[in-house]
Amino acid sequence: MTTARIDRRQLLAGGMGLALASGLAPMARAAGTPIRMVWWGNEERARRTTEAIRGFEAAQDDAVAVATEYMGWDDYWTRLATQVAGGNAPDLIQMDYRYLFEYVGRGTLLPLDEYLGNALDIEDFGKENLASCSVDGKLYGANVGVNSFGMLLDRAAWEEAGIEAPEIGTSWETFAERCAAFKEATPRRRFYATADTSGQGNSFELWLRQRGKELYTEAGELAYDADDAGEWFDYWAKLRAAGGCVPADVQAQFKNSLETAPITLGTAATDFAFSNQFTGYQAVNKASLDMTALPVLPDGAPGHYLKPSQMFVVSSASKAPEAAVRLAHYLVRDPAGALILGLDRGVPASPAIREALLPELDEAQKKSVAYISAIGDLAGPLPPSPPKGAGEAYAIMLKISQEVAFGMIDPAEGGRKLVTESAASLTR
Amino acid sequence: MTMETATNGWEEGRRPPSRFAEGLRRNLPGYLFLSPWLIGFFCLTLGPALGSLYLSFTDYDLLSAPRFAGVSNYVHMATADPNFGAAMKVTFLYVALSVPLKLAFALAVAMMLNRGMRGLPVYRAIFYLPSLLGASVAIAVLWRQLFAADGLVNDLLWVFGIEGPSWISNPNYSLYTLVILSVWQFGSPMIIFLAGLRQIPADMYEAASIDGASKRRQFVKITLPLLTPVIFFNLVIQTIDAFKAFTPAFIVSGGSGGPINSTLFYTLYLYQEAFGYFRMGYASALAWVLVAIIAGFTALSFLSTKYWVHYDD
Repeated sequence: MTTARIDRRQLLAGGMGLALASGLAPMARAAGTPIRMVWWGNEERARRTTEAIRGFEAAQDDAVAVATEYMGWDDYWTRLATQVAGGNAPDLIQMDYRYLFEYVGRGTLLPLDEYLGNALDIEDFGKENLASCSVDGKLYGANVGVNSFGMLLDRAAWEEAGIEAPEIGTSWETFAERCAAFKEATPRRRFYATADTSGQGNSFELWLRQRGKELYTEAGELAYDADDAGEWFDYWAKLRAAGGCVPADVQAQFKNSLETAPITLGTAATDFAFSNQFTGYQAVNKASLDMTALPVLPDGAPGHYLKPSQMFVVSSASKAPEAAVRLAHYLVRDPAGALILGLDRGVPASPAIREALLPELDEAQKKSVAYISAIGDLAGPLPPSPPKGAGEAYAIMLKISQEVAFGMIDPAEGGRKLVTESAASLTR
Repeated sequence: MTMETATNGWEEGRRPPSRFAEGLRRNLPGYLFLSPWLIGFFCLTLGPALGSLYLSFTDYDLLSAPRFAGVSNYVHMATADPNFGAAMKVTFLYVALSVPLKLAFALAVAMMLNRGMRGLPVYRAIFYLPSLLGASVAIAVLWRQLFAADGLVNDLLWVFGIEGPSWISNPNYSLYTLVILSVWQFGSPMIIFLAGLRQIPADMYEAASIDGASKRRQFVKITLPLLTPVIFFNLVIQTIDAFKAFTPAFIVSGGSGGPINSTLFYTLYLYQEAFGYFRMGYASALAWVLVAIIAGFTALSFLSTKYWVHYDD
């Protein structure tokens, strides 16, 4: 989702992880077939994953010893690429949808079709889900959870202002009117109805999909034009001028981390995030949060989609692929493992696991599961996979949205610039 | 005794060893003691540096083998990369502002401390402290807090009825907050200035004041000229440091160099290309251009010494 995110906690975790890794890694405990697993994520994820892995080791007839490494998102991709390039690939790898095609394209991952139905019994994930983890008809990943982009609401702040909060099905036009009215009505100083999401590729993608377009074509080219982008920037420019969303310098404080988001810093009553980030946002927000869909285009196409947030893939260089596949199965489909992982990596794709998980969830977790269920009708098919260079296109979008927001260029020019610069980044 | 037989000349009939072999024999222990550094230099510094010079002529994304691409990386940089220009502009502005300001500030504090006050070591340590913390992440995070919309700086301004902007997230001000951060870390040039000031003989000032020279005149005619070797040293070191600045921009902008590339330091851009977008070849080319720029500036500084640096012995 982001190429450069870093916050204090990650830094600290990264530093400590590094210190640990240099002294102790790889940390294998039991004897047996050695396999290595890597993932990105925070301390909480590490705690859950390690606990599940210990369960896996104990449950195996023939001993498997799992060594683990984890780090922050930024370090992860550098480190993984270095290890794979150096012929030292981990056996089981946590993979993001964005990078799947790149790794498959270079023959570094193992097709899992022969294990499907036996060692990897995940057919109940559904055809769409399996297809989303496949490349050219071959299955490469076991999905750990689905998520969807959405809108976070501080409902109390909306009520305090006496303005009706947006809900599933609210149109973009109505949303803008309510946001502008919010500014007049709220008693709080320096407080706005919504964060400014004009620089977030995920929101722009939803807006495009509602108009029957996409960010990228199947061939990996831009699937929108300068007018689409100009219109998008224009919508937010008008909202900004009306006081409906936070000013440019407030939004610019957002560094792609939940601690720096306007809703967390107390400058907006609405913000934009993925559903698997919901519990994280709730943890750092005093106000009780809700999650709802982004506004819609009346009679438009569905904008949302269920994204395979993360998947486990197996290295084609693995010396013990069977053991790695068994561990993947244990983590995503065996209740003993999957229930320990919980919702940390997204809502589990298996209906059976989801069912088993429900009673153990707290209020915030239930809300994020409910959100995934609620947008079912609004969710369309998965978009074409983002091409190489898409990561940079996200950064370009952010930069140009700021140029528009700070008034350096007008929205139409922003649209033209976005198309030119994004296209250039894709061809490099 | 054994030592004597080994060093007391050579038995007759044997050819004396070549000068090289003798030199090696005599210096071998020295080289052995140097070896940790030598191995480190050749394997960890020179080797990778030459490797990156090669990579700068390739397309390399870490996952597949480098493909030779001639000078295309350098051509792209010069002709088709708007971010390269932006990063250059930001970096040169940063160097041009932060180095003179920091040196002036360091000199001022050093002169203040040089007046022989009580508890000097304590003050010296306190003033040096920011330099120790300087490149650390914690300070950059602190800076982010200070200059945020609801940060300490704006709280102070609020007392005077001014509603300040979010300094670090406004493209018009963000670079200047980083310049201030750099100036605040004036400790190491200050210590060097202080040592330089101590070298100036006190009788010069005595003679000057007997002749009726004002303090200001003494500064211009005695202090500055005699201090020029130290100023020169500090200038070179600080310029190189400023070109290489990375941490503050990385933390304050969250790694993005934003808002709108306003804190896109050259090294930060290089890092993005290498580790954000996996363009190792292009990033290597960027690195070598930076090497050339720094070398050029350092050479210019050295060439200029004959016009303004006085070595009086």
